[in-house]
Amino acid sequence: MLNKLALRNVLRSARDYMVYFLTMMLVTAIMFAFHSLIFSEDLRQLFEMALLLAVLIGLASFFVVLIVAWLINYMVRFILEKRSREFGIYLLIGMKKKEIARLYLRESLLLGVGAFGGGLLLGLLLQQILMAILYSCIQMEYRIRLEWNPGCLATTAACYGGCYLLALLRCRRRFRKMNIHALMNSERQNEQIKESRVAARRWLLPLSGLGLLGLGLMLFFYKNWSNVTILGFLAGLVLVIYLFYSGLAARIVCYVRKKGNGVFHGQNLFLLRQFASKVRTLHFTLGTLTSLFALALLGCAIALMFNDFQNQMLAVKWPFDIQIFSGDTEEDFRREWEVLEREAHVEESHTYFIYQNGTNPVNTWLCTHLRIFGDDYLNSDGTPNQAEITSRDTWAYYRFDTYIALSDYNRIREMTGLSAVALGEGEYLLHLKERVWNETGDFTGEIAVSGPDGGTLRPAGIRTEPLSQDGHNGADYLLVVSDEAARQMTPYYRMLVANLAEKAPGTLQQSLDALESRDSYEDFGSHRVLDSMASGTDQIAVYVYKNMVRDNLIPEAKFLLSSVIFALVYVGLVFVCVALTVLSVQQLSDSARYRFRYQVLHQIGLSRKEISGVILKQLALFYLCPILFAALVSGIISVYLGWMFNFYTGTHTAAAGYFGVSFLMFLSVYGVYFAVTYVGFQRNVLTEPGS
Amino acid sequence: MSNYIQVCDVEKYYGNGSNAAKAVDRVSFQVEQGEFVGVMGASGSGKTTLLNMLSTIDSVTAGHIYYEDIDITELSENKLSEFRKQNLGFVFQEYNLLDTLTIEENILLALTLHSRHKAEILGRCQELLSLLGIEDIRNSFPYQVSGGQKQRCACARALANRPRLLLADEPTGALDSRSAQTLLETFTDMNRKLNATIFMVTHDAFSASYCGRILFLKDGRIFHELRRGRKSRREFLNEILDVLSLTGGELSHAE
Repeated sequence: MLNKLALRNVLRSARDYMVYFLTMMLVTAIMFAFHSLIFSEDLRQLFEMALLLAVLIGLASFFVVLIVAWLINYMVRFILEKRSREFGIYLLIGMKKKEIARLYLRESLLLGVGAFGGGLLLGLLLQQILMAILYSCIQMEYRIRLEWNPGCLATTAACYGGCYLLALLRCRRRFRKMNIHALMNSERQNEQIKESRVAARRWLLPLSGLGLLGLGLMLFFYKNWSNVTILGFLAGLVLVIYLFYSGLAARIVCYVRKKGNGVFHGQNLFLLRQFASKVRTLHFTLGTLTSLFALALLGCAIALMFNDFQNQMLAVKWPFDIQIFSGDTEEDFRREWEVLEREAHVEESHTYFIYQNGTNPVNTWLCTHLRIFGDDYLNSDGTPNQAEITSRDTWAYYRFDTYIALSDYNRIREMTGLSAVALGEGEYLLHLKERVWNETGDFTGEIAVSGPDGGTLRPAGIRTEPLSQDGHNGADYLLVVSDEAARQMTPYYRMLVANLAEKAPGTLQQSLDALESRDSYEDFGSHRVLDSMASGTDQIAVYVYKNMVRDNLIPEAKFLLSSVIFALVYVGLVFVCVALTVLSVQQLSDSARYRFRYQVLHQIGLSRKEISGVILKQLALFYLCPILFAALVSGIISVYLGWMFNFYTGTHTAAAGYFGVSFLMFLSVYGVYFAVTYVGFQRNVLTEPGS
Repeated sequence: MSNYIQVCDVEKYYGNGSNAAKAVDRVSFQVEQGEFVGVMGASGSGKTTLLNMLSTIDSVTAGHIYYEDIDITELSENKLSEFRKQNLGFVFQEYNLLDTLTIEENILLALTLHSRHKAEILGRCQELLSLLGIEDIRNSFPYQVSGGQKQRCACARALANRPRLLLADEPTGALDSRSAQTLLETFTDMNRKLNATIFMVTHDAFSASYCGRILFLKDGRIFHELRRGRKSRREFLNEILDVLSLTGGELSHAE
């Protein structure tokens, strides 16, 4: 009998809390699809770095489990409250509390299992979409193949089960405290509105505004970020969000009490009061939802930044098919040539030296002027700290300035499709990364580059075409001098660049890397990283491998970036769905419980159409408030992050653009939930009972 | 005096085919302007259905209801809302106040729906608050005040826009006897001083004795009518009780 009752109750709950049920299905599907990326055999074979994806998705899953557990806990409590009368009747006819608790537990689990089953099917579909997106991100062809991995299933089930375990842990205690009278009457109680201390609390709104402004200013102008300040910043942000809602409700109540002019237009009085009472009772939930929205928006914006980087920057990072670095100036690249001849078809190639002459005017200028270094290389009196600049610990630059001979320079320009340049007598040319040039402008007037005879060379201009300057063709810059001047300098290191007639074979990078003994190089992934190489000042994604085969590295780089993007989108998506479900379920259950409010409106003369309008406005207020506030908070942060991202990586998208696009994407998910809620709300309020 | 409200052969069925139940069966009567009419009947006699049809929140199956020249059974949904807004006021047993609004705001809301000026709205609201003696609780929420006070607030709201007709459905049903008496005296005052036309449904003889005329309903039909005329309330009450005892208690099917 109890089983039958549980099943019937589940069917009813699934109908009443459709949005919740569908969201749980969606969450299962999303979890399953993302987990299947971790367990994908194909991906593991393709990339040795697949582990990174697993780590990132795993980390994301951790947050997802926490937040979904919160949702389940919230919903279990919520449904319990809504059904208290029913539980009162069970108690009245002689069921024991233990039995009711067991019944309710069974129902929750049945609902969960149902959603899980449905979610898995949806997950298989989502898995294919996700794989297709990932493969297109890394520019590989994807053939549809269902991956039904037991490990993936087990992980998803474990995560899902974990959510339930966390959520239901405290459910039993709630039943123990039940009382028949309280249960039977809880439904009849109207919202009790307590408006204590509104006059004081209304000041929380401007206070939270000021707090937000302060945090925004701190973000843009504060320099010495440490872990403590970051934590303080986040705590401040959370505080600002919670204060906002507390203050907002009080401010509206004060406005209504003061009888501001807006109160006397149409149904504003009703709307404002409805909104204020909802915000007041739910200010903690709304604060949490706003934080979730803000996090999701930020995640989305950051994912877009990486995507943009992937699209804009990877193509210019490697202008040559093959680049090989050697710190040994006697290197003849014989072994490398053997591999290249065996495995690829080289169309053109060039071997050349990068020189130094024991001076470092450019390094000194950059170390003391670039924002990224702050005052790391300055003495307390503001003069350059040469000891620091020339120490080998400078990760960004070589110890001395890097030079290239004009003929070598023109040859590699030609290989990348650029026209040759000419230098006059006693002149030099600065080839700088565009990103650095954007920050510094022309600074050749402030440096003195010495020529072969001890005199000073005259600047002949600055070039900023992409030329692989993350340590290969200099770090950030190269000074181009006449061949004669270069001959009098000391060779610093040696480079081989080559272009292939066709696409490089997938294993070429591995074959080249295999030439080096593991002792002489550090390993990163499977690649050789040379300790003596400088990296330049690019951040976020920098490649300073000894050997670089473009066709092998681009998919790998894209895979790495996609891992970050996918993990962020995964968390963002789940957060949004969870937050929207809470909003939606709240409103729908209110619509059933407070149906009489709309009947009263009908009786005092509002037509059904006008009531529909009131519902629309009410929902819009309730839905827009958390999203707009979250947009404000995350907007400020993502504009800052976008600006930093552009600054460190050299991408060009306007910082607000990242945010704008993610906000739009977000609004579409929002729209779906809003529409479902609006339709359900109207149905609950406007249909005659029993019809 | 012209017929202010005229109900002509109104019928109301619920359900259809063999399941059809007749709630109101060919009922006709008139209400004059400034009258205080009561309708009595046992549960299920059709009195609330009749009130709902008069108040336009339920439709008739057959027949017509005229408010002067307007036949409300012919009006569209939108026009009905407008009609309701302009002409009718409601008082219910369950008060039906909005719980998120204070006592004063419940009255204000009814006024703001008529797009009047702020000063006019506030003036009228103040007038009603003092008329019904609820000024001192104006800033309280419905859950903070007594049933009688809530019902007086509902009356104030119903009267806010000077309706042609005030409809009351068991207004004393949830009140203690003292509050009920106060409310009924308020109704009488409104009827006499403001010349408000009131149509009240009740099954309580004491409440009914405040009316000027009573229609007795049984199984959806009017089977008797009483007029107070110049009689005192006590005499009228006895008369009502006589009618009730004739039909067995409170119009029940006593054996």
